[in-house]
Amino acid sequence: MFLLKTKLNRRKFLAYSGGTLAAGAMATKFSTIKAIASEHGKQSKEPGTKTVPSACAICVNKCSLFADVKDGVIHKLNPNHNFFKSRSMLCARGNVGAKVPYAPDRLKKPLIRTGKRGEGKWKEVSWDEAYDYIVENVIKLIDKYDNRSSIAFASTEGLQEEFFRHLTSVVGSTNSVRHPTLCLASNIQGYSSVYGTLPDADIANAKFVVMAGSNRAEAFITPDTIDLAKNRKEQTFVYLDPRATKSAALADKWFPIKPGTDMAVVLAMINVIISEGLYDKEFVDKYTHGFDQLREHVKKNTPEWAEKESEIPADEIRWMARKFAENAPASVWYPGRRSSFTANDVYYRRSCAILNAIVGAWDRKGGLIPKSGISLKSHEFIFPLYDRVKNRIDGGKVNFAADVLPEYIKSNKGMPKDEVAFLSEADGSWVLFRDAILKQKPYPVKGMFIYKQNPVESVPNRAKTLEMLKSMEFICTIDIQMSDTAWYSDVVLPESTYLERWDPAHSLSGVAPVVIFRQPVIEPLFDTKSMKDITVDLTEKFLQKDAFWVDAWEEDKAYMEDYVKTFKGVPMSHIIEHQLSDYPGAYKMLKEKGCFYKTDKIPYGKTLKEGARLKTKTGKIELASVRYPEAGLYALPVYQKPSQPPEGKYRFVVGRHAQFTQANTQNVPYLLEAYGHYENMLWIHPKSALKQGLNDGDYAIVKSSAGEQKVKVHVTEYTRPDTVFYLHGFGRLSKWLTNVYKVGASDAEILEDYAETISGNALLHETFVEIKKA
Amino acid sequence: MSENSRALKLAEDNQKLANKRKKAKEKWGIVLDTSKCIDCKACTVACKMENYVPVGFYNYRIWVAEDTHYAKYPVISRSFQPSQCQQCENPPCVHVCPTHASYKTADGVVMVDSKKCILCKYCMTACPYDARYESHATEAIDKCTFCYQRREEGKDPACVETCPPKVRVFGDLNDPNSEVSRLLAYNEYTVLKPEKGTKPKLKYIK
Repeated sequence: MFLLKTKLNRRKFLAYSGGTLAAGAMATKFSTIKAIASEHGKQSKEPGTKTVPSACAICVNKCSLFADVKDGVIHKLNPNHNFFKSRSMLCARGNVGAKVPYAPDRLKKPLIRTGKRGEGKWKEVSWDEAYDYIVENVIKLIDKYDNRSSIAFASTEGLQEEFFRHLTSVVGSTNSVRHPTLCLASNIQGYSSVYGTLPDADIANAKFVVMAGSNRAEAFITPDTIDLAKNRKEQTFVYLDPRATKSAALADKWFPIKPGTDMAVVLAMINVIISEGLYDKEFVDKYTHGFDQLREHVKKNTPEWAEKESEIPADEIRWMARKFAENAPASVWYPGRRSSFTANDVYYRRSCAILNAIVGAWDRKGGLIPKSGISLKSHEFIFPLYDRVKNRIDGGKVNFAADVLPEYIKSNKGMPKDEVAFLSEADGSWVLFRDAILKQKPYPVKGMFIYKQNPVESVPNRAKTLEMLKSMEFICTIDIQMSDTAWYSDVVLPESTYLERWDPAHSLSGVAPVVIFRQPVIEPLFDTKSMKDITVDLTEKFLQKDAFWVDAWEEDKAYMEDYVKTFKGVPMSHIIEHQLSDYPGAYKMLKEKGCFYKTDKIPYGKTLKEGARLKTKTGKIELASVRYPEAGLYALPVYQKPSQPPEGKYRFVVGRHAQFTQANTQNVPYLLEAYGHYENMLWIHPKSALKQGLNDGDYAIVKSSAGEQKVKVHVTEYTRPDTVFYLHGFGRLSKWLTNVYKVGASDAEILEDYAETISGNALLHETFVEIKKA
Repeated sequence: MSENSRALKLAEDNQKLANKRKKAKEKWGIVLDTSKCIDCKACTVACKMENYVPVGFYNYRIWVAEDTHYAKYPVISRSFQPSQCQQCENPPCVHVCPTHASYKTADGVVMVDSKKCILCKYCMTACPYDARYESHATEAIDKCTFCYQRREEGKDPACVETCPPKVRVFGDLNDPNSEVSRLLAYNEYTVLKPEKGTKPKLKYIK
């Protein structure tokens, strides 16, 4: 199953076509890239001013930019006005990118640990020494456990991540774990179960927008953020969040909803729309499946019932429902990010998708729009087949899966207890994955490669992550700065920053897709390499060790030799040219305008054409799911009452900020300054502060079953009395993050590590904390 | 070249540019629609990058202020007001400067000649908008120049260019066809502290 199933398929394919032929075909594929290879000059070091198009890498949005370089030094990064996706902007984080290569805290040389783990004693080594050390340890581990899957690979998204995934395949491990289950896996799962895909929202043209929890004005500056701000006078924007964020400041109405009850509001809106006959009958008949079941299902979910759950007045819910239907199809329940709120998250996201469907606000102007992309030619990579490989540790039946569920949902029949029902094979489920490593079930995983991700700070329950790292016999981290995870590693490889390297072209999918790429704005300042170079170099080193290939096929080894030769010899610019070769003039446009696109107009209605099918079982919009009952899940979204904090405790919620979303920008002084404080602070309502004997500016101890942190108190009207919050990414453990090392409080330390078992997403709003004066 | 010497060079280059542009006919101004502002600080950071303004809470040329209209849970009403030097037509900072370090360019931009500045800080006191700061890079009082270095290329100031929802629009108030002139023609607007009689060239749409 999982990866092995795919492997079987490939063996079958080899059997059909003959192994040599297949390998030969691969060789030809590489030859195409080789054939287009020619000389490729380095960036000039000459004095003077130049403007270089590239793309930002500080968040996932990858906004195209133009870098002003003066005398070989980056002066300023400016927005690319050709890049319609960013609406001609570069945010605060994008702007400080100009300082990233020059940051005093960045990694400059490969490092091998000399002291104890976490002690911070390192020796600088050459790349060769680092590689030899890694190769030796990898072979030792594979031999010791007779299992390539005994080495785990953790990474997060980025244009070089595919090369890290190549490395995973070269080593032959099935245990890769990625960021989605700390982010939007439940969202993808919920929407996909209805539409076969996670759509975008056409905020530019929507007239009525409801946003629950995704703090669009702060988390990331996306096209949606900008369109909401620009449409402020024309659009009705309703915002639901226990905190009055800057999105709330932008909203026409803000409801401080009781956390975890969002689904009650959605079901009640569906109830009103159906019972008052406000739904789009023609659309429902033609494009959806299971409407009659839905109608019965939501009969009990009246606005009065939802008011008791959510604390949003029934009249307001009715108003929202009626406005939603009235403005359709230009109505959106925003399919936003933010990690799972509570254990019932997948069903909640399903209900949101259904709400949009019944008013026909799908694939029409102002509604939800399926994303599209621009397909690029790939430089395909075929993973080698090894004998010493086992199934991934969090895949298939997992007998301890129920342990990750919060207590109150364990009796819920629609929640799997012995597996993650729809686990992504490439992404895994972080919480379960870590538990499996700690329990050594079903087998020991004792080595780890980590690229760009920082699980110590990003996975809930920091103590457990540290325990997992402690149980490792070998850890290699690749990053541009000494993340907390790098701090606990054995070998740290410094990657070149995004402004010093080439990255392959990438199609940013969305309502209107656009292709970006990266090229060096300056030459690497230090002894650093790209992930691509690291993978190719390491593969070359592995090829020199016969012991590594004892369980491999000859063809695979030959394929890897060809892989190394190809990627060593061919400059990235030519790979990009190859990627774009289906589109005449595209490469030129990319190099000159910094981006390539066919049109900036949104192609509405592609899925509504005669004969079009969605990627669901029925090919229709599945209000009632067909696959879910087959997997033992509810066909329709069933509301689950969340547990509430007991007397004296508070619900801890996470949230984002315009300067800090993930854990990689807190160390930047310019951003700390823009944030306005040098440390994060606990938001607590005046009534609750009084109860706990806290004054503004005091320090408090925030304690959960996972851990405790000391944090400065910020007494504010901007939060519910039962909810507290502080910002992510402070209180760090790496001494090389000098501005945030032990400054402020870490949320990873106090978040309890629950997950849901439909998509495997971590639950970041299920932690209740005690608060005492420090 | 250190960050400080870059800042100094930029200040000197801008003096030269102001001399070169002695016959400029434009009157630069900014029109702001603050209802779109989300306080993301892209403008303040871009300004620091473009103008080598050093790190530090007190070193800034532009800022975003918060207006809290009402804040008693669960009713919270607030808005954000980005601002900077108002580039006054009647600038008190210029009038009080004993060494003529503070001056107005032909195109109406208030600037500081760092060589003439004696750091007496009269201008900081005189400015009703608190738009000036002491720069350790130029060893002079420093302030917004509408990114004067960008005038020759015809590029918008960094804060204007980088803004996600495009709160600010920059242009020539003397040109009736410019976007700023049209915005002022079709919208009601106000200026900050009109009672001071400074005649700001930053106009806020109501």
